[in-house]
Amino acid sequence: MSTLAVAKKDFQDALRSKALWGLSIIFILLSLLIAYAFTEFTAMMEVEEQTAQGLAYFLASQIGLFVSITAIVIAYKAIAGERESGSIKILLSLPHTRRDVLLGKVLGRSATLAVPTLIGLVAGAALGSVLMGEFAIVSLSALLVMSLVFVVTYISIMVGISALTGSTSRASMLTIGFFLVFEILWGVVSIGIVWLTNGLSLPTEFPNWVYLVNQVPPSAAFTTGLTALMPGDIAGVGTPEFEAFYATPWVGVIMLAFWLVVPLAIGYRQFSKADL
Amino acid sequence: MVAIDLTNVTKTYGDVTALQSVDLTVEDGEVFGFLGPNGAGKSTTIDILLDHARPTAGHAQVLGMDAQDETVAVRERTGVLPERFGPLGEMTGRQHVEFTVEAKDADDDPDRIVERVGIDHAADRPASGYSKGMTQRLMLGMALVGQPDLLILDEPTTGLDPNGARQMREIVRAEADRGATVFFSSHILQQVEAVCDRVGILDYGNLVAVDSIDGLREAAGTTGEMTVTLDGVPDGLADEIEAIDGVTSTRVDGNAIVAGCENPAKAAVVEACRQAGATVENIETSEASLEDLFAAYTGGA
Repeated sequence: MSTLAVAKKDFQDALRSKALWGLSIIFILLSLLIAYAFTEFTAMMEVEEQTAQGLAYFLASQIGLFVSITAIVIAYKAIAGERESGSIKILLSLPHTRRDVLLGKVLGRSATLAVPTLIGLVAGAALGSVLMGEFAIVSLSALLVMSLVFVVTYISIMVGISALTGSTSRASMLTIGFFLVFEILWGVVSIGIVWLTNGLSLPTEFPNWVYLVNQVPPSAAFTTGLTALMPGDIAGVGTPEFEAFYATPWVGVIMLAFWLVVPLAIGYRQFSKADL
Repeated sequence: MVAIDLTNVTKTYGDVTALQSVDLTVEDGEVFGFLGPNGAGKSTTIDILLDHARPTAGHAQVLGMDAQDETVAVRERTGVLPERFGPLGEMTGRQHVEFTVEAKDADDDPDRIVERVGIDHAADRPASGYSKGMTQRLMLGMALVGQPDLLILDEPTTGLDPNGARQMREIVRAEADRGATVFFSSHILQQVEAVCDRVGILDYGNLVAVDSIDGLREAAGTTGEMTVTLDGVPDGLADEIEAIDGVTSTRVDGNAIVAGCENPAKAAVVEACRQAGATVENIETSEASLEDLFAAYTGGA
């Protein structure tokens, strides 16, 4: 109840600050562009199976970056900023617990990002479906559900990091650092892990478990997890071609669940014992 | 019943000691003034009462509940005007009050609250555009929601004009009449003197005195001043007066002689002037000001 009250206030603040409307317009334009580009390019390259399912996957792989960057921008100050300015003392003078505040921020900021993301995706999916004359309701629903989970997960990570500190400059360093390591540089990290475990040299053939390592970045987990939800195969995106209990796209879903819970739990632990 | 009970509360931040073994009891229904220079530890004390900070040692009880373990229950029955709060959100003044009413599960009419604190004309504007004084009024209004048993007001008159400060005092009195306990922190002595039953003085994290203002005056032994205007000050009169028992200082100011003295010595001072052959034209006395009192306790000048 308290969590919802905090979330509602947070979301209303976002509504009034007009950030939501700007974001919505950007996402709609972006999504329309991606959908248009997909149908144009697949037609140009004479891809035979120009499917709405492929469109859904393509949309997902393209919005990952934008969702993650926007999540950082709207959530890195969620707790740290309110602590730095002292606003949090207003919230925490009312009968809210720190957990209410933390979860309320996750919900409120998730809504702030989910609304433009979902509106944008629906617009892109609609345009793509019209252009291709095909409408795949299951795949597109899977896209919307998975995108919603992805949005909440990314916001949860950022709010969790924000709860570690009472300084916005430190919060921005930590969140950007997270983004650099886990999104931009993860390919290098992945190769580095193989190099280390292979006795400081690169093998001619990469071990199968690299598949797991590559699912660590939240946006990779998102696109992989999406294929688990979608029916049939997607051209160019196969399940791993080796036998192992982890050779399944459900790894992506599990990894997202990890990101949804663990950073927030660590942030909560710090925040619950901090002096404000 | 006891509204606030601090037992041996110590709070350190790294090497800095913000509070040093503070023991303090505020009775139910009391208006308690919490005085101290900036940085004395007033806000730290309030942070501990509201569990915004945890004591390094000691124990805090609010309304008979543990301040650190029963936080939500404490806040349900406490109205707070925090100090150094950040900018408010994009909601209007009225929505802020509504938010508080909802959070406290109270049945107050937001219109009555905004009217009571004098921001009804601005209730539908975003609070982020409020002036300092209006923000302070809004925060007071939010503190009043739900008829709290305890009001904690941290430097409530900051940013208020004299009229606003007077209204604040009237509201404090009205809340006290309703039966609420008021814990009122300030570095401005007059604010506290005007409304408080008892006063505690905090200095560098130490609670140096707790008493009524009269009691403090007596205990500090701070003397008043007496100005006797004469037709002319005879030579040697100042020395004679200074020798009187109970007179602590004298100085000559034109045709007047100013003596720092306790009340019983005043007649003797006037008598000494007459004996010296001077005609007494006027007598003015003043009690020790709270500033003097404050300085006597906090060691400042």
